[in-house]
Amino acid sequence: MIQFEHYLIVSALLFCIGLLGVLTRKNLLVLYMSLELMLNAANLALVAASRFHDNLNGQIMVFFIITVAAAEVSVGLALIVALFRRRQTTNVQDLSELKL
Amino acid sequence: MNTSLMFLEILVALAGLGILVGDLWTPDKHKKKLGYGAAAFLGILFLISFQVQVGNVKYAFGGMYILDSLAIFFKRVFLLAGGVVMLMAVEFTPKIKRGVSEFYALLLFALAGMMIAASAYDFSLLFVTLELITITFYILASYLRSETASLEAGVKYLILGALSSAVLVFGIALLFGSTSALSFLEITETLGQSSGSLASNPLAIAGAVLVFAGLAFKLAIFPFQFWAPDVYQGAPSPVTAFLAVGSKAAGMVLVLRVLFQALPSITLNWSAFLATLAIFTILYGNLAAIPQKNLKRMLGYSSIAQAGYLMMGIVAMSSAGASAILFYLVGYAVTVLSAFLTLTLCVNAIGSSEIKSLSGLMDRSPLLASTMILAMVSLAGIPPLVGFFGKFMLIQSVVESAPAGWGCLVVAAIIGVVASLYYYLGVVRAIIWDKSPNTELEKIQISTPSQALLYAGIFMMIYLGFFQNQVVEAAQNAASVFNF
Repeated sequence: MIQFEHYLIVSALLFCIGLLGVLTRKNLLVLYMSLELMLNAANLALVAASRFHDNLNGQIMVFFIITVAAAEVSVGLALIVALFRRRQTTNVQDLSELKL
Repeated sequence: MNTSLMFLEILVALAGLGILVGDLWTPDKHKKKLGYGAAAFLGILFLISFQVQVGNVKYAFGGMYILDSLAIFFKRVFLLAGGVVMLMAVEFTPKIKRGVSEFYALLLFALAGMMIAASAYDFSLLFVTLELITITFYILASYLRSETASLEAGVKYLILGALSSAVLVFGIALLFGSTSALSFLEITETLGQSSGSLASNPLAIAGAVLVFAGLAFKLAIFPFQFWAPDVYQGAPSPVTAFLAVGSKAAGMVLVLRVLFQALPSITLNWSAFLATLAIFTILYGNLAAIPQKNLKRMLGYSSIAQAGYLMMGIVAMSSAGASAILFYLVGYAVTVLSAFLTLTLCVNAIGSSEIKSLSGLMDRSPLLASTMILAMVSLAGIPPLVGFFGKFMLIQSVVESAPAGWGCLVVAAIIGVVASLYYYLGVVRAIIWDKSPNTELEKIQISTPSQALLYAGIFMMIYLGFFQNQVVEAAQNAASVFNF
């Protein structure tokens, strides 16, 4: 029988994979995909909790997260495109103009 | 349903939409008038907000939205900051090549988000308002997209902001998993019940830590402070001012509510942990600010240090600490808005935000120079200006409640204040004593609304240094919503 804990472990793993991606990858698009993975880890945990606690609030929250993530992606991709047009790069290491 | 409770937010959002529509009929050379109109509207709303009676706490949307004295206090701070930032944006308009009205409208939407955040009483509303603020700021920070600095600031804020939201959301999911509730009220009840066994549940504690981490990012608390200097430097000056005042205050009200209203049974044991963060934040912000050459970047580090001082009020975990935070935020808002208004006007005239380019400002515009000097002195916390009294209240609250490790915290705060004298007074030195290479520089012209605002800023910085009673009373009244 699959319990809430199992879902929680999977979502924690997804979250950690996403976090690792954000911390180690250099390409902005891949970074962004990792961030989406982290958000979806939270979605999975919320849906599972909602199912096992018999409380629909968690699923409503997931709808909010999906909507907000879509807004975030649209702004984010626009910014990345603008950056690419300007600098011909999507590598985070090239973002080094602002410093002391 | 009690929608009328949020009429202030609705009016601000409608004003934003109104600007977008009004833009269609406004020729390019009159676009500034939209900004002046919006600023005047925010001023009127600020006055109206004093008519809102908050005798007893009111709820809307099934307890998601709360209107209490804390919420209305923060709404006033946001409206005031929004109005000043809007005037700054008007002054900044010549630098924006396209989309002037959208710039004003986005500022209003961010403002509406902050005002709703002051009333958030449910994790779903908290998340949505926080994202409304943050996503708007991604666009605003990179608004000058032909300049690489602004784009870079926007992209950095985007990646780190999205990371912090993901952490926050995962924290909320864990809290929901352990308590099966999203509303602050229900979570407090669930955690308080069953003789605190749930409050020591590792799942709930991990959730609380992750939620705090997500919010600490907005406040720029160590170790989530690394974005602040870059974004502050690259973003347009009005946006930086709004980030420094609005976004920080919004983060603060959410941290206060989450720590003391939603999860008190978990977080009241955290004072040693929070004190450590406060010590590191204060020391990092102040020490890293010392070698800075760019004024905006220096203010970015200074804002980290200020977040550290604000943390002291949280560490105190008393109503004195909470009211000290609120008073400090008002003083900080007045000071930082004056500094950024001066900075915006100087950058328009001089074309650079390097500290050394301020040399000779005393001759070019005594008004700008004296505002900047007073703002720096107030930020440094030198009596009798408002910054001194705020820091005094914060330190006093920590000493009074004497949490674990308070001695180290107070020593760190004092070291921080002493170190900060160096870089704040460096700006003063540049303005007064440094000789400009070209001696014959023309005077800087300042528009009438900005002049009025500069005088008001000078007046408030001095006035609040001597007569704090009204604001302190309002802060104490607002802080009374917390039960310690």
